[in-house]
Amino acid sequence: MAETAAHSAAPLDPLEPRHLVAPHHDDKSLNETLLDHVWRKPGKGWFMLLGVAMSALGLLVIGVSYTLFKGIGAWGNNQPNSWGFGIINFVWWVGIGHAGTLISAILLLFQQKWRTSINRFAEAMTLFAVVCAGIFPLLHTGRPWFAFWLFPYPSTLGAWPQFRSPLVWDVFAISTYLTVSALFWFVGLIPDLAALRDSSKSLIQRRIYGLFALGWRGSGRHWHNYKIAYLLLAGLSTPLVVSVHTIVSFDFAVSQLPGWHATIFPPYFVAGAVFSGFAMVITLIVPARKYLKLRDVITDRHLENMNKVILATGLIVSYGYLMEHFIAWYSGSEYEIWTFYVNRARGPYAGVYWLMITCNVITPNIFWFKKARTSIPIMWVASIVVNIGMWCERFIIIVTSLSQDFLPSSWDVFTPTWVDWSIYIGTMGLFGTLFLLFLKFVPAVAVAEVKELQLELKHAAVHGADGVEASAAGTLTHGVH
Amino acid sequence: MATETKVLDSWVLAEFATPEALVDATQKMREKGYTGMDTYSPYPLHGGSEALGLPPSRVPFIALGGALTGLTVALSMQTFMNTIDYPLNVGGRPLLSLPAWVPITFELAVLMAAFGIFFGLLGLSRLPQPYHRVFESDEFRSASTHGYWLSVPPTETAKSEDIMDQLKSLGATHVTVVTGENE
Repeated sequence: MAETAAHSAAPLDPLEPRHLVAPHHDDKSLNETLLDHVWRKPGKGWFMLLGVAMSALGLLVIGVSYTLFKGIGAWGNNQPNSWGFGIINFVWWVGIGHAGTLISAILLLFQQKWRTSINRFAEAMTLFAVVCAGIFPLLHTGRPWFAFWLFPYPSTLGAWPQFRSPLVWDVFAISTYLTVSALFWFVGLIPDLAALRDSSKSLIQRRIYGLFALGWRGSGRHWHNYKIAYLLLAGLSTPLVVSVHTIVSFDFAVSQLPGWHATIFPPYFVAGAVFSGFAMVITLIVPARKYLKLRDVITDRHLENMNKVILATGLIVSYGYLMEHFIAWYSGSEYEIWTFYVNRARGPYAGVYWLMITCNVITPNIFWFKKARTSIPIMWVASIVVNIGMWCERFIIIVTSLSQDFLPSSWDVFTPTWVDWSIYIGTMGLFGTLFLLFLKFVPAVAVAEVKELQLELKHAAVHGADGVEASAAGTLTHGVH
Repeated sequence: MATETKVLDSWVLAEFATPEALVDATQKMREKGYTGMDTYSPYPLHGGSEALGLPPSRVPFIALGGALTGLTVALSMQTFMNTIDYPLNVGGRPLLSLPAWVPITFELAVLMAAFGIFFGLLGLSRLPQPYHRVFESDEFRSASTHGYWLSVPPTETAKSEDIMDQLKSLGATHVTVVTGENE
C-alpha cells in the first residue's frame, strides 16, 4: 500500500499522517479510475444487491397501497399513540440525511480537504434519505392526495395554514431542505457530467450525459461564477441543516408532554442527526469503496476522521441523555421524574431503552482507540449498531411519552403492525435502490474536486511542505509532466 | 457571406500541458491586448479569473436579492394570512406572533437565495447551451477530463495564423482553429 511506503519515506506531520489521494495519480488516471465504475458493466454483486433492494421496495408498495386502501387504521397507531412509526421513521431518516449536508457544506467552509472524496456520496445519501423521510408524514396525514392543503394557496375553503404550528414549519423546512440539497448536489455534479459526456464511448451515452451536463465546457468565465455559487450554496446549507433538525425537534419541544417539553431538544437532535448520519456514511462507504475500487481517494484516513466525528457527536448525545435525566430530577416535576426514571427505564419499553443506551452511549466509546477507528470490520459493525441505537432513541422519545402521559386512564400500549414494518423496511429498499442506481450512473466521487485537490497537494510540495504531501506530490509531478 | 465575417467567426484553440502554463499564457495574451479570450479546464484554475481579467462575480448579489425576496414574502404572507385575512385565536396568543413566524421566514429566505444562486449561475453562464463552437474540435473533449485549453478570437489586426504562432511560442502543445455559428 502507498501509505506504508510514505510512512517509512518521510518524517510525518502529526496532523497529516495519511494520504488524501494516493500518490500515483495524475488528472488522466484519476479520471479513468473515478469514472470507471460508470462505464464498467455492473457485476453480479450489484445485480444481487439491486434484487434485494427492489424486493424490499416491493414491501413498500404493498404497505403503502394497503394504507391508502384501508387508512391509517392499518398502522399500530391508536389513542394516545397518535405518532407511531410514521414519525419515528421520519425523524430517523431525516437525521441520517444530515451528515451529507454536514460533510459537503460545513467541512467545505472549514476548508477540511478530506471531505472532497466523500462529499458526493454523502450528498446523494442526504437526498435519498430525505425522500424516504418525506413518505412518512405524507402518509400520516391520512389522505395524502390532499397533501397540498399543507401549503398556503388561495383555496375555496377560505382557510389558511396555522403558521404558529411546528408541523407547518416542518413542511417548509423539509421541502426547502430537499430542494436545496438537490440543487447543491446537481451543481457539484455538472463538471463531472461533462467529464462523463466527453469520455463516453457511444453517441447515446454522450447525448444523455450531455443533456444533463447542460453544455458545460469548463469555461474560465463559468468557473468564476461557479466557485462563488458553490461556496454560497455551502454557506446556505450550513445554517439550513441546523435549522431543519431544530424544527423537527420543535415538533416535540413545543408540545407539553413530559419527556418532550425540553429546551435541550434542538442541539441534542442536531447532534443525534450528525451521529447517525456519519454512521450511515460508514455503513455505505466501506463496501462501496471496495466494490468501486475507490481506495485511492477514499483512504483509511477518511474513515478514521469520520469515526472521530461519530465519537464526538456520540458524546454530545450522551450528554443530552444525561441532561434530560438531570433536568427531570432537578425540575421536581413528578410527571417528568416519572417519565424518565420509571416509564422509560423500567416501563413496558425498558428493553428498547437499554438497547438505546448500549448502542448510543457505550458503543461510540470504542472509537477512543485507534485500533477500532482504523479497523474496517469494527467500524462497520459499530456504524450499524449506532443506527439501531438512534432508531431506538426516536422510538423511546415518541412511544414512551405518548403511551403513558398525565392521565393513567388514557394510557395504552403501542404495537406496530405488519404494515408499519413493511413500510419501514420498504423505505430501506427505496433508499438502497436509489443508491445503487446512483453508484451505477454518476461518479460516486467528485472528480473535478479531487483533481483540484491533487493539484493543491502538488503545489504544497513544490513550495516546500514536508512529510507525506511532499513525497505524494513528488510522484504526482512526475506523473503530470 | 463576406470572407472577413467568416474569419471573425473562427476561434483559435490552444491546448497547454499544465494549468500553470495555461494561466501564464492567458496572462501574456491579455497583456498583448487580446480580448474575449476564455480558458477551459476540468477544475477551476488558480489565478484563472485574474488572468482573464474578470470583474467580481454577480452571483452573490443575485443570492442576496433572493434571500430578501424570501424574507419579505414569508413575513408578509404569514402576517396577512394569520393576522388579517383569517385571524385565528389559539389560546389567546397574539394574532401577530412574530417569533412564531421566524422558522418559515428563515426557510423561505434560504430557498429563494438558493434558487437565486442556481438560476443566477445558469443565467450568467448562459447555460444550458448544448452547442458551442469549441465543441467543433474533437480534441477539445479533453477540456473536461485532463486538458487545459485557451480560446482566442481573432481581432481586426491579428489573423488566426499570427495568433497560432504566438500561442505556440507561449508553449501550446496543440493549436487548432474552430469555425462555428456566432452567438
